[in-house]
Amino acid sequence: MHGFGFDALHDEICVTSPLAQAILSFRGGADGEEAPLRVIQGPHTQIKGTAGGGNDKVSVDPVNNEIYIPIDTAKVLVFDRTANGDVAPKRMLGGPDTEIRGVSAVAVDPIHNILAVNSGGAMLIFDRTASGNVKPKAVIKGPKSGMANISSFQIYAPKGLIIAGCDGAVAASSSICAWSVEDDGDVAPRSKIPVRQLTGYTPSGIALDPAHKEVILSAAGQRVRPTRGIMNTVITFSWPEIFN
Amino acid sequence: MSTNKRRNRGRGILVGVAAVAVGLFGLSGLLRWRGSAQLVSIEEIPDTGDACYRPVSAESKLKAASENLFSTFEEIPVYAQDARPLDITRPPVRDILDTAPIYSSVGLDLEHNEVMLQDANTWSIKVFSRLDNAKPGAPPTEPRRVIVGPKTDVQFNSCVWVDPASGDIYSVENDIGDVIVVFDHDATGDIEPKRKLKVTHRAFAMAIDESTKELFLSVQYPPQVAVYSKTASGNDKPIRLLIGDKTKLSDSHGLAIDTKNKLLFINNWGNISDYRVPGSGRFEPPSITVYPLDADGDTPPLRVIQGPKTQMDWPGAMSIDPATGDLYVANDMGQSIIVFHSKDQGDLTPAKVIKGLKTHISYPTGVFVDAKNQELWVTNLGNSSATVYPLNASGDVAPLRIIRSAEEGKVSLRFGKTQALVYDPIREQILVPN
Repeated sequence: MHGFGFDALHDEICVTSPLAQAILSFRGGADGEEAPLRVIQGPHTQIKGTAGGGNDKVSVDPVNNEIYIPIDTAKVLVFDRTANGDVAPKRMLGGPDTEIRGVSAVAVDPIHNILAVNSGGAMLIFDRTASGNVKPKAVIKGPKSGMANISSFQIYAPKGLIIAGCDGAVAASSSICAWSVEDDGDVAPRSKIPVRQLTGYTPSGIALDPAHKEVILSAAGQRVRPTRGIMNTVITFSWPEIFN
Repeated sequence: MSTNKRRNRGRGILVGVAAVAVGLFGLSGLLRWRGSAQLVSIEEIPDTGDACYRPVSAESKLKAASENLFSTFEEIPVYAQDARPLDITRPPVRDILDTAPIYSSVGLDLEHNEVMLQDANTWSIKVFSRLDNAKPGAPPTEPRRVIVGPKTDVQFNSCVWVDPASGDIYSVENDIGDVIVVFDHDATGDIEPKRKLKVTHRAFAMAIDESTKELFLSVQYPPQVAVYSKTASGNDKPIRLLIGDKTKLSDSHGLAIDTKNKLLFINNWGNISDYRVPGSGRFEPPSITVYPLDADGDTPPLRVIQGPKTQMDWPGAMSIDPATGDLYVANDMGQSIIVFHSKDQGDLTPAKVIKGLKTHISYPTGVFVDAKNQELWVTNLGNSSATVYPLNASGDVAPLRIIRSAEEGKVSLRFGKTQALVYDPIREQILVPN
């Protein structure tokens, strides 16, 4: 699993079952072998991965009651959050003008009404309800931006900040950075935590804890072996600068 | 408003949200879907001391602060568009990790009386004496040698297998590198493999038929069994491939071969789709499918073991008793070893189940039948150990011996690959899939 969602408004966990082409919603407090509340699966869903990956990331917009799943080939499907069974997506974003490549992580900012897609070492920013083959309204990309790819990223909507991976190859980020949702082009990040430099780990997942002004990162060995020799960890940084 | 007041108010709001959510969704349990896909591995991180939850010391905070020119601006946002990015150089405030091994697979070298354990947490293979035994009160068992380091290419590995003739150690990688690496029996430290074989992504388990010198490899998805020459290397292609809808393979994991009766056993988790067809996904109960050992192409199974009576729940490695043909299955989420007879089929209860508190079994993913010594080996993902039983053991039986690589009573984090996470602000919990 490369990315999943927690919906604090409705107290639900949203995950994918990649090889069964399904999106599962569980109670927020689910424990043990508990059945999902809802399953989106079937021919109408159009959910599709690849032989080697895909269907491994999902995001939830609890405010607008929508679920976002990136699929093969280079598309993002949007479902009603309460959809259950073999249902068609509400809309689909994808096509050459979108610049979306591969199966890319997605996050939504319901305050600024944007949808961000981290694809090909770029952060593609669309109107939240963008559909079809449309151009992004902004693209954060370039050497000054340091933008890279990461398994999952977040938007801290109250401050309009995108918290994503930077300073890395296209497939991995050695740092995490904060950009404004209004940034466009080759724009330097507003703030950065050089995670690998500080810890030896390559971050792959990002979660935010605004109440404690912390960012929580998952990190597993990613070819670059952590110096301490333990390959799996969860690391928490205090980062009040992005929450204040 | 002070930071603390803001924090408390935020928590109050979250509690309110939780209360509303419970009110709105409290009936949802009555409407739960009853399919086979279930969330099973999101758990509260234990605070038993088994996991390393390490608040950074005041001393290191002070040191970091003195080295961080920006620390005095800690409560001040600095968002100057044209300014140099604000680099945060303070260390993390906490980390969660497990310093003990997380054993996923076991192989035996009966010629040298040695046991090889695959550690998914340090990307290593640890070699112990077959007769090692950590008695109560004794310190953790020390390995004789360890294969570990970047040159080894051991990473995300799911299966270790020992060639009974040469003692060569094979290790199957399940993720990024997509290789089988082969080491000499005496390999130790950071050493390059003597041979590498490029294999399909999501390879899981292997076995070798010495009579034909063939290497059998299960692949999770697209589900298949690839058969190579035992000495294949580099980009050598499979001799044959068992794959296709008729095979009933689905999210295939454990593999075992019965060379006497010429049978191939594969277990399947039942997550099914054709990646070429959108929306073709479905769930089925886990199964064991049985084929002729020389099956090729889209060959249907000779028989299928499947259904609720079987108790299968994330079946992992499998091993066969060559004398009886009995099939031993590491039943990860079932917290058990389940045993089926060679000709079993349909929905039936296992012939034997090893399970219970006395067994020390905890999330078993590796199993090996030692026919020579009439013993059964199990690796426990959940407690950093390998346990040994009499081959005829059944029920809640104490192990004969334990290789224990952590303190007694260890509860492992069971981290396999911590790629993703979410934060639950309602319960103030971090959710980490493994």
